[in-house]
This record gives sequence, C-alpha cells and structure tokens, in this order.
Amino acid sequence: MRAGVIKAYILKELTELFRTRLIIMVYLMPSMILLLFGYGIRMEVTHARIVILDYDQSHYSQILTSKFEDSIYFDPTVMKIEESKALHLIKQAKADMILIIPSSFEKRLIHGQKTEIGLFVDAAFPTRATTMESYVQGVIFQASTEVGEGKLPKGMITLNSRNLFNQAMRDENAMVPGLIGLVLLVAPAILSALLIVKEKEKGTIFNFYASPIRKHEFIIAKLTPAFLLHSLNIFILFLWATYLFEVPFRGSFALYWFAGEIYILISLGIGMLISIITRSQIAAVVLTVIVTLLPGFLYSGIILPISAMDHESYIMAHLFPVMYYNHILYDTFLIGEGLDSPTNQLYLGILLLYAFILLMLGTLFLKKELR
Amino acid sequence: MFDLELKNVTVHYKDIVAINNASLEAKHGEIIGFIGADGAGKSSLMHAIAGVGRFKGEIIYEGTDYHSPKEAERIKENIGLMPQGIGLVLYETLTVGEHLEFFAAIRNLKKNNDFFTYKNKLLQMAGLLHFVDREAGKLSGGMMQKLSLICTLLHRPKLLILDEPTTGVDPLSRMELWEILDDIRSSEGTIILVSTAYMQEAAKMDKILLFDEGEIIAGGSSPELIDSVRKYTYEEVSCDNDKVCFSFDKRSYALYPLAAKYAEPTLDALFFVNALQKKHTLPTMEIGERQSTVTIPKVVMEAKALTKQFGDFVANDHIDMQLQSAQIVGLLGANGAGKTTFIKMLLGLYPIDEGELYLLGKPILSGNDRRELKAQIGYVSQHFALYKEMTVRENLLYFARMHAIGTETALRRIEKYASALGYLQYMDALPGELPLGINQRFSITAALLHEPVILFLDEPTSGVDTIARAQFWQILEMLKVKWGISILITTHYMSEAEYCDRVVLLKEGVKVADEYVDELYRQHPHAKNFEEIFLEYYQ
Repeated sequence: MRAGVIKAYILKELTELFRTRLIIMVYLMPSMILLLFGYGIRMEVTHARIVILDYDQSHYSQILTSKFEDSIYFDPTVMKIEESKALHLIKQAKADMILIIPSSFEKRLIHGQKTEIGLFVDAAFPTRATTMESYVQGVIFQASTEVGEGKLPKGMITLNSRNLFNQAMRDENAMVPGLIGLVLLVAPAILSALLIVKEKEKGTIFNFYASPIRKHEFIIAKLTPAFLLHSLNIFILFLWATYLFEVPFRGSFALYWFAGEIYILISLGIGMLISIITRSQIAAVVLTVIVTLLPGFLYSGIILPISAMDHESYIMAHLFPVMYYNHILYDTFLIGEGLDSPTNQLYLGILLLYAFILLMLGTLFLKKELR
Repeated sequence: MFDLELKNVTVHYKDIVAINNASLEAKHGEIIGFIGADGAGKSSLMHAIAGVGRFKGEIIYEGTDYHSPKEAERIKENIGLMPQGIGLVLYETLTVGEHLEFFAAIRNLKKNNDFFTYKNKLLQMAGLLHFVDREAGKLSGGMMQKLSLICTLLHRPKLLILDEPTTGVDPLSRMELWEILDDIRSSEGTIILVSTAYMQEAAKMDKILLFDEGEIIAGGSSPELIDSVRKYTYEEVSCDNDKVCFSFDKRSYALYPLAAKYAEPTLDALFFVNALQKKHTLPTMEIGERQSTVTIPKVVMEAKALTKQFGDFVANDHIDMQLQSAQIVGLLGANGAGKTTFIKMLLGLYPIDEGELYLLGKPILSGNDRRELKAQIGYVSQHFALYKEMTVRENLLYFARMHAIGTETALRRIEKYASALGYLQYMDALPGELPLGINQRFSITAALLHEPVILFLDEPTSGVDTIARAQFWQILEMLKVKWGISILITTHYMSEAEYCDRVVLLKEGVKVADEYVDELYRQHPHAKNFEEIFLEYYQ
C-alpha cells in the first residue's frame, strides 16, 4: 500500500467530480428522492368523505357518529336516504365510504348480542380502501369501549398491527426512515458504478492497467472519495427527517451514524461490482437502479412490513441488505432499543459481513487486463 | 542477446485469432514499427507486450519472462503504453500540469531536481510549456497526443509501446512527435514499439514489421523490405488475362516477368506482392455504363463563404470551394479540421450559418431545393451507415427502395455491382462479419444505385487495408471516367492527395490551400511527397 499513489488518485477523482459537476448529483439526488417520496407517497388518508346512515337514532349510535365528527380523518355527513341512493353517491365519487348503523343497534348491544355495522368502501385504490377501513375499525373500537364502559366482549374488532409503533398514525414516521434506507442504497451505488466504467468507456483505464498500481490501491482510491462525500448525506438526511418531516428520534445517534457508514460501504460495493462487469456507463446505471431501487423499495418495509411477507418474498427480503439496515433505522428513530436488542446486534453484524464480502468480491473480480 | 523477445505470441478473442504466432526481437535504443490495416493484429500484440491483455506464448524482457498480464506486473515499472485513440488516456477536465502531477504520483516518482528538469524538458519538447494551466479537453488533437506521450514518458520507461500515436494528427504535430521519440530513443536508450497507418513514417524506424490478417508477413529495415519486392515491381502495363497481376498508382506488380521496365517500389508493394503470393484473387473491377442519361453542368457544386459555428467554436470559417464535373477533389485535414462538418453542410445535415451554396447550378435556400436534387447526390458517411441485422443484399435493396428504384431494376443493378466490385460471394452475409474493405465497397454501391451525378465520401478509406484502399481508388477513377461523376472525398491520409485532381486543405476550420495536384508540385519543387508539401502549409 503506497499512500502517495492512492492520494494522487483520490485527488484526481475529487477534481473530476467537482469539475464535471457530478458533485451536484451526489448531494441533490438523495435529498430529492427523500423529499419526492416523503411528500409524494401518502398512505395516510385524511378527510375521507363518509356518509352515515343512522337507522337507529339512539344514544349509542349518536356517540358513534360524534366519534367520526371529532376525527380529522373523516368528514362525515349523516343522511336519511335509502341505501341504494347512498351507494349511488360512491359511484358519483361524492363519497368514499358509507356506514350503515342498523335499527336495532343499541337494543342488541344492551342485551349483549352481537351487532353488525355495514360498511361500503370505494376500493378503486385498494391500499387507500384498506387504510380507510382500518381507520373506521379504530373509531368503532374506540366508541365501543366508551359505550359499553369496558364490559363489551373483545375480539370482535382488531387493529392493523402496522400502526403499533406509530400511535400518532403519522405517515411520515412510517415512511421517512425507510426512505433513508432506500436513498443510501441507491445514490452511493450509482456514483461508484460510474467510477470505474467511466474510465473504461473513455479509455483512461489504461493508466491503471499499464502501471504498477495494485488492485486494492485502485479500489481504495476509487471508493474513498465516494465514501467521504456520501457520509455527509447520513447527516443531511437525518436533518430532513427530524426537522422537515418531524419524525421523532428515540435511539442512539452513534448507532444511526455507524450503521449508515457500513451501509454506504455496502452500496458502494454493489456499485463497484456492477462497474467491474459492465462496459458502458448507461448499462451500469440501468443495472444499478434495477439492483438497488427495486429491492430497496419492495423489501424495505415501507410498503409492506417484512413480518407480513410470506414464502418467497420473505426469503427475498432477507437476501437484500436493506431489510437489516431498515430494522436498525426504525429502531433508532421510533423505538430506541439500540444495541440492547439482540436482533439489532445480529443485523449490524450481518451488515458488516455484507460490506466485507462485497469489497472482497470487487478485488477478486477486478482484472488488470482488457476483456 | 536481445532485450525484448517474443516467442510465438498468439492472442485470440473467443474464436477470432487476432494475432497468430508472432515473434520478434528488439534491443535498447531501437524503434520497431508495426505497419498494417485495422484488425491486422497490431494493437492485440501491443496489449500482450504491455501486459494488459491475455495471450499464449512467451515474452521475455531483460531476462524476466511472462505469460499473462498477472506475471507482467513485475515489469510494469519499465513499461510505458500509449493506447490507440486521440487523447484516450487523458482526463478532459484536468489541466496539463495536473496530468503530469498525477502520472508522476501513480508511478510513485521522487520529486527531486532531476525530475523537475526532466519534466520541463518534456514540456519544452512537446511545446506545452505555455499551456500548463489549460484543461486537456480544450487542447487540439495534436497537442493531446503530445501530452499523452510525455505523460507516458514521465517515468522514463525502458520499453515504450505506442499504438498509432500519429493517426489523424496534423502533419506538423506528427513531425514533432517523431522528434520527441528520436530524442528519447538516443538519450534514454528506450525500446520503442510504434504502430502507424502512414507508410511514410516507416523511414524513421530501425525495423519494420508488416501485419496482415493476424500475421506478421515481413520484417526488416525499410530499404531491405523494398529490395525484397523490387523484382516484382514494374511500370504500369496492362496485365496478361490468364495470369494474376495487379496495377495501381502507375505501377504493376506480378510474380512472373512482365514486358515492362522495373519501377522503384514503395512499402505498399509488400502488401500487393504478399496478396499475389498467397494467391488471393485481386479481381479486376469494372464499372458498366450509366443506364440513365443525364446532362451535367460544368460546375456541379459551388460553395461561397460557407460558415458553421458551434457556440464560440468556428468549425468552418468562410470556406469557398468549387467542384467541377468529372473531377475528384480531396478535402484534406487533421482530425477536427472541419472536414465532416463541411460535407454535412453540403448535404443539409447541418444548417448553414452563413454563405451561399449552389448544387448543379441551383441555389440552395431551403430543404425543398434539396429534395429534387437528392436523386442526383450519393453519400457515404464516415462510419458506413449499414444495418447490422440485415444481410448485404437486404441492405442494398433497402437503399434502392429509399430512392424509389423498382425491385427488379434494383436487383439487376445490385447483382451487377456485386460481381463488378468482387463481393458477390458475400451477398448473404451480415456486414459485421465482413472485413472493412468489403463493407466499404458495398457502401459505395448503396450510394451508386440511383446513379448520382455527385458523390460525397467522408473518410471512406480510414482503417481500410492497403489493397482495399488501392482497389477503392481504382473504382473512383473508373466512375469519374465512365460516368463523368464528380467526387468530393475527405481523408486524413495526406498521401491520398496523389490520386485526386485537386486538393483543398483545411486547418482548424480555415481553408489553407486549394490547388490542382500538378500545380502544387510545380509550386514546391523540392518536396518529395505530399506530406512535405502540406507540412509547409502548416508551418
């Protein structure tokens, strides 16, 4: 290892990054993805237009109705129309849901009999429909505890588990940490994918092939600038998350930082491997996006919790590093167990192993010869 | 005892043999030249020696033998490689000074007085002393090549491998590059392996290796090689029909005695004689009469002060030119001189920024003016515009249909050209499988199917082997004589000016010469060849 050689290469890389304006991408892309997705993807539904047909007109049914009126998630209208006419409102897109309280609602509850509340949901957007449905369940559950003073039998209504650590039901809390895991997988990978293939495309790779520079010196020289520049993104993204999206941070910052650095190494390692096997910049970028963005999104736990996955998707999720990192991320942001949790310890170890293997593979596959 | 020895080196890529069983010996202080067409195996052999490509066989440098790139690591301290391509190893956004810093650092050089003196000497020799702060991307092609060379020389390599350092570079820069090499060879005792596409440069080499289709067909000093073919070279005569012979550029070549006086051969002769010895058929090509009748005006193309600008950069600066009927005009210049831009303006592929253009006597003001003339213009682009997924026949039929020629007429003409130009056996092959020379011949067919009056050819001969180039010029000459066609052809081979009627020389977007060929010789009585004439314009 000759420090002078590596230093010269690093200096050259940095000069090029600044003069080719690639540096803008290094800092613009991660923040842009976070802001676009953070604001763009809304699982949360507010002001859902719910039409309530109260056939009971009792004390209990009014308690239930008032619960909907108090909630910011619903804009209820109590109507006295026929069911078929109400359904027509959904077709006309004037309402999102119809809640039907049957005429014997109060009487049956008092007698300890089960009662059924009818709910029609506009399921044109299935995710939105599921969300709205779960909100309604939540409101009914709340109302039922109040109505029966805790004496009503449980088990009739269950809450969706994804809201467990998100009591405020804030979408940002569920989304933003997951997005950090996505961004830090995609952005460094794209940069490092360009680094080697760029020289292959241009021809400057000959300077490496034909000189006595060692393979690991070359890799260190290539990855160090990318690593240092992207490390800053760990902090930038943290600030966006906590100040702009107001996500709470309950865990240890040191763990967040350390795991982030390891994760960037993994991402750089993926990009570097792609850079080694491809011949053109365009192929390298497309391949990197496919290999990082899709799994980063699908198996990050943003869309679906890993625990809710089954069979193939469960195995797939465990193959990609994003799951392990996101587990630690969610912990540091929302739970705060830190390294006390054995799962976190294990996952941090797995991430370290990933980084090590990827960098080793890079040195193994990199050849100082034309292909 | 030799300092560099190659024993039966073979390089192949999958099934294709790039160079077969090459052997050579060299001593310190020698310049060894590799001469041959693109794809003849020069680069592959250079990569093997430089330890950047896999090979079979053995290479020994100063007692260290290696058989793979990995083993070659041991001698990389001593090697300097400058691969093919203008400015290929340079980083566009780094300045000249930063390049030298970088190359010094990756070679782990000590920055002592000796280093700085040597660095300044190199900068001085390359004429870059005043451009230390300029970014490499903003240098001219010649300056880029000189910078690449001094970056390669910075660690004082004892084995210098240069792959076509002068191709596409202006004559003055080429001369300067050779001066640097000559200086380094004597002051440092370096072995220099250099490949070139220019035969004229052969005189500067101690030993020449001729490459043809993956083999070294001859080796020796320039006079030795020329002597070896002296007995086969005659003044031009018509050949005996049943025996094989080949005529080109005022000379005829045959393996049996011809009834003519002997002539002084050039290095090109080696390729012709080699082809004759290998019994390669060198088909005599015949172009039939034009099928349509046309009246051709005296002046077919006239450009007045044509100008093209890309931002601040003036690619063509007020260029006047005239193309008369039945005339071959060569548009010459180094890479980036503005040759292609000019042709593209004539064709309407680039809008004209300033100036007037007349084609076949008509002023060209809009696209409509061109549309009627399209049927009378043929064009072959720099990278032959062929469809790789279609066979030769399908390609040609497609071009015929574009010109609204009936299928029957088209097939008849295609068949006729294919046999006349000697590629009938390749009609059902894909262009990618064929040598460049064959592709070039059927590209010109595509441009001739509609029997045009003017033909524009953009660098049709670069990378094509000597024989194919000779045959190509024979075709052009026939077209001129039989069809009365006018041809504007661009090339960076200054020697090809010899085959033109008139030449126009461009330098950095400006016309510096526009003269009949014999007139040029009259004006420069001391010049031995065109290289020397053009050098005067550049100085």
